[in-house]
This record gives sequence, C-alpha cells and structure tokens, in this order.
Amino acid sequence: MLFITFVLKNLLRRKARSLLTLVGVGVAVAAVVALVGIAQSFRRSFAELYTKRGVDLVVVRAGTRERIGSSLPEQVGDRIRQVPGVAAVSPGLMDVISFEQRQLIGVPIQGWAPDSFLFNDLRFISGRRLQAGDRRGVMLGKVLAANLDKTAGETVEIFGEDFRVVGVFESFSIYENGSAVVLLRDLQELMNREGQVTGFQVILEDRPNKAALIEEVKAKINDLRDERGRPLGLDALPVEDYVSTTSQIQMAQAMAWVTSVIALVIGAIGVLNTMIMSVFERTREIGILRAIGWRRGRVMRMILYESVLLSVAGAAVGIAAAVVLTRVLSASAEGSRFIEGSVDPGVMVRGLVIALFVGLAGGIYPALRGALLLPTEAIRHE
Amino acid sequence: MSKPPLLRAEHLSKTYPDGQVNALVNVSLAIAPGDYVAIMGPSGCGKSTLLNLLGALDRPTSGRLFFEDKDLAELDDLDRFRSQKIGFVFQSFYLLPTLTAAENVQLPMFEGPLSARQRARKAKELLAAVGLSHRADHLPIRLSVGERQRVAIARALANDPVLLLADEPTGNLDSRTAADVLDLFDLLHRDRGMTIVLVTHGPEVAARAARLIRMRDGRIIAEGQAGAPSA
Repeated sequence: MLFITFVLKNLLRRKARSLLTLVGVGVAVAAVVALVGIAQSFRRSFAELYTKRGVDLVVVRAGTRERIGSSLPEQVGDRIRQVPGVAAVSPGLMDVISFEQRQLIGVPIQGWAPDSFLFNDLRFISGRRLQAGDRRGVMLGKVLAANLDKTAGETVEIFGEDFRVVGVFESFSIYENGSAVVLLRDLQELMNREGQVTGFQVILEDRPNKAALIEEVKAKINDLRDERGRPLGLDALPVEDYVSTTSQIQMAQAMAWVTSVIALVIGAIGVLNTMIMSVFERTREIGILRAIGWRRGRVMRMILYESVLLSVAGAAVGIAAAVVLTRVLSASAEGSRFIEGSVDPGVMVRGLVIALFVGLAGGIYPALRGALLLPTEAIRHE
Repeated sequence: MSKPPLLRAEHLSKTYPDGQVNALVNVSLAIAPGDYVAIMGPSGCGKSTLLNLLGALDRPTSGRLFFEDKDLAELDDLDRFRSQKIGFVFQSFYLLPTLTAAENVQLPMFEGPLSARQRARKAKELLAAVGLSHRADHLPIRLSVGERQRVAIARALANDPVLLLADEPTGNLDSRTAADVLDLFDLLHRDRGMTIVLVTHGPEVAARAARLIRMRDGRIIAEGQAGAPSA
C-alpha cells in the first residue's frame, strides 16, 4: 500500500463530507479562475484594439484615468502629425449609449474621422464602411447587430435620433464587435462636443529601434505648447501603459482579486472546518498510529496530504466549472460584448496554486493538533 | 538472570495532573531479552500505565527507564525508538476499519525503509505467520474477533520489534479464541525468542508467561514464577 492510497482511503471514508468540502473549494477556485480570466481577457481585448492596428501611442488629456472623460481639441491632431517620426494620427471620440428596449446598457459608441486608418481592419458582413458623406449613418459590430437584430439598411435610434445602418462589420476585437461606429462629426454634434475628441491614436514610422522612437515621440508630444507657450496638457502613452492605467481595467482587475481573496478565505475555512472535525473524530485512531510507531511528522503529513488532495481535487472541479461558466457567459448577450470564451492556461495554473495554498492553510492547524496529541490520552478518547 | 536486561526500570512513578492520582509508585524491575512476563492486578492498579511507560508511549513523572542500557529520558525521538523497537497489541485490536488485514499490517512499515512492494510482501509473510494468509484482503468487519487480534499481532511485528507489549490482549475474546491467541504468543516467544510483556487480570493468561508480576495501587506487590505465583 502506498502512503497516498491510505490518505485517499481516509478521504473516501466520509464521502459526503469530502465531496461537500471539495465542492466548496471548487466554487472558490471557479470564482477565481472565471473572474481573473474574464478580467484578463477584458484587458487583452482592450489592448488588442490598439496593438493589432499597429498603434504605438495613445494621446489623451493629461491627468485623466476615466478614458471617456478625456477631452482634447480636434486641431491638436495637426500638431501631433507634425512631430517627426509620426506616420499617422486618428482622432476619436468615445462614449457609451444604451438601447433600453433591448436592455443593452453601456454600449460603446465611437466617432471616427472618415479617413481614419481604423476602418482598414474591419471585415464587412453586410453593407459597407462609412464614408465622408454618410451623415446620420452608423456601422454596427456583429455582436451588437445580432443583439439589436439589425442589419444594413435598417435604422436604429441613437440619442433620440434615427441612424441608418450602413454596414455590419466584424473586427478582430471582441470589444469592437459589441460597439457602434459613427462619423466623428455626428458624434460631436450628438454629444454637444463640437471640435472635441477623446484622444488620438498614433502610428509611428517603421524604424529599427522602435522603442527608442516611441520614447522620443512621447516626450515631444507631451512637450507640445500652444502659441503662447503654455503646455497643451497632452499625455502620450505607449499602449501597454494606456491599458494598464485605464480605470475600468484597473477596476475589473481589482474586483476580480478582491472577490478571489474572499472566495479563498471561505474555501480555506471550509477545509479547516472539515479537517478539524476529521482529526477530532479520529483522535483515537491517531493515538493508535502513534502507538504502533508513527512519528508526529507522519501524522502531520497524513492530515496535510488529505487537505491538499481535497483542495486540488476541488481545484480540478472548479477549473472545469470556470471553463464552462466562461463559455456560457461569453455566449450571453451581455457577456458576448467583452468576454472571450476561453480561459488562459496561466489563470488555470494560478487556480491550482491557490488551491494548494488553501489546502495547506486549511490543513496546517488540524495537522499540528493531530501531531501534538498525546498517544496515551488519544487512545483513551471515546 | 545472567544476561544484561533489555529493559530496566528504576523507581518509576507516574502522577496524572488531574486529581493527583498516583498511578504508579516507585516501580523498579528488569526485563531480560527473551523474557515472557505477565503483569497482573485488578483494574486501576497501574498495570496499563506501567505498560505505556515501558513502551515509551508516555514519560514517567519520576524515575528512569533504560532500554538496552540507554536512558530513554535522553532520547529526543521516542517515536522513532518506539517505531523500531516496540510492538503494541491492544485489548480492542484497534484495526483501521477501511483497510484490509494486509493493509493494516503495513501501517507501521511507513516509518521503515521498505518499498511499497516490499511492504506488501512482508505483510503477507506476517499474516501467514499468524495463520491468516487466506484473510489478507478482508476488511476487519469481515473477520472474527480472534482473527482481528491476530491481524493486530501481525501489525505489532511489522517493524521487527525486540519487545512486544500487549494490554489485555484476550480481554475481548472468548476462552477458545483467547487460547489460540495465547498459543500464538507462546510460539513467538519460543520460536522467535520474542520478549513479551502482557497485562492481564486473568490467571489463565498469566499462567502462560514465565514470570508474573502482581500489582496493586500502583505498586508491585509480588514477583515470581508464573506457574507458582506467590500470593
């Protein structure tokens, strides 16, 4: 008989209790894996919006973390365009709208200039791209179009005005697939932000030492001044910095971690409770094992192995549940806008590591208690 | 008794902190290799306490205990000592209910050097030695009480101890089964030269031993040949 076989048999003795504890750990790990996984995929999708288009810098108003709160004059784009090393600049205005009849809240809407390079990577499922003369025209991402049940040629109401759907597109970005795009001019009018944009996406020239160029251009943009010598208040951020300092991303990650920590504490308490009960019930048995030659360390190992095995089995169940949960969420109308249906293996490994920690944390005290029992008293225990 | 003692107790006393019970008072004795000793006395006379001290399951309040001339008080790993030198047999067998006979016998071997395969083979041999080859894969609940005690004896022998301690080993057995178990002790004593100390309150059990120690109120009151106990 292997030692681990003995440990396993101990767990199988109280099947219902072991199963319930396992499910408890499973739920905790599932919450961690799903939430952290969703937060990561949210962040990845957001970053890909820029990286996949080759955007090197995002320029926003200095000091704003709430990205749609950033506001800059559109003409600043011309100044940025003149900075040596800059290849292309695309101004953009961003906001969120709701389609209440469809219960879609917080749908991103973007205003793009008609000549923007952002159009280049879209594939059209129906209709065509927006052109300079398409006033009151809108392009819908395919997920949004499906949720609204609209296709090219129909109209949708945006901020109380009718917009004609000129095309339905598919983007590489799950985030963009859930959004609407109108011409910059239209969105500025609708939002009473004439001449204003949220920020600029900047592509730099292709040069061997790109990192150095990014730093150089970033410094130059941040240093731009108006005719009276006052700083323009621009903040040019490399994409990675832009994404990681975005408040929604930070919030999603913080929420995921806080929820995870709570789930884990609950998981560890569950394991602790089970193992304390189990050690108490087996007091005499532990005394006997000591009497027939077991050392304290082996009693400790037995109990710790039990709790870790329970937790790791719980993690396996939890990870499987998280994978299913993420798939289900990504298929729902709300979730499909920003959740990808796959869980990153790194997040699964994290779930497993966390379960190991839960097993050790929940097992250490019962293991010590078991190991410190006096054999003669333990054997007398009824 | 020309041989140096295997075990020597000098003025052992044991007081339990709760209620100031003097479980053992100034007990001295020596046990030679190959001895077969019965400790007899009424309930509460301290015989189980003495057995626990001899088996290093507990430490005395005062007095010294030498095993092969080594002072047990100076050993910091009593567990290791117990695991290598002592085999315990209990009145209620104390087999683990979820393990088969063979697996129960293997339990003490986890502290030894054997591989899983060697453990299984040794358990088989030990069960054969107690006449239970055919019951190796049975759970305790499927065994008779006599068989259970024989499994427990096989388990006590798992790490080749030099001293076998038995606390009322026939206390839960009917007289026929008890006789079988005692025959097994006789066999171990005679064929393997095993040193055995058993605690009992049954004279017919004590009669099997070579030496008899009588106890009352925590003290040794008489010592002699088991066949002709001095009153």
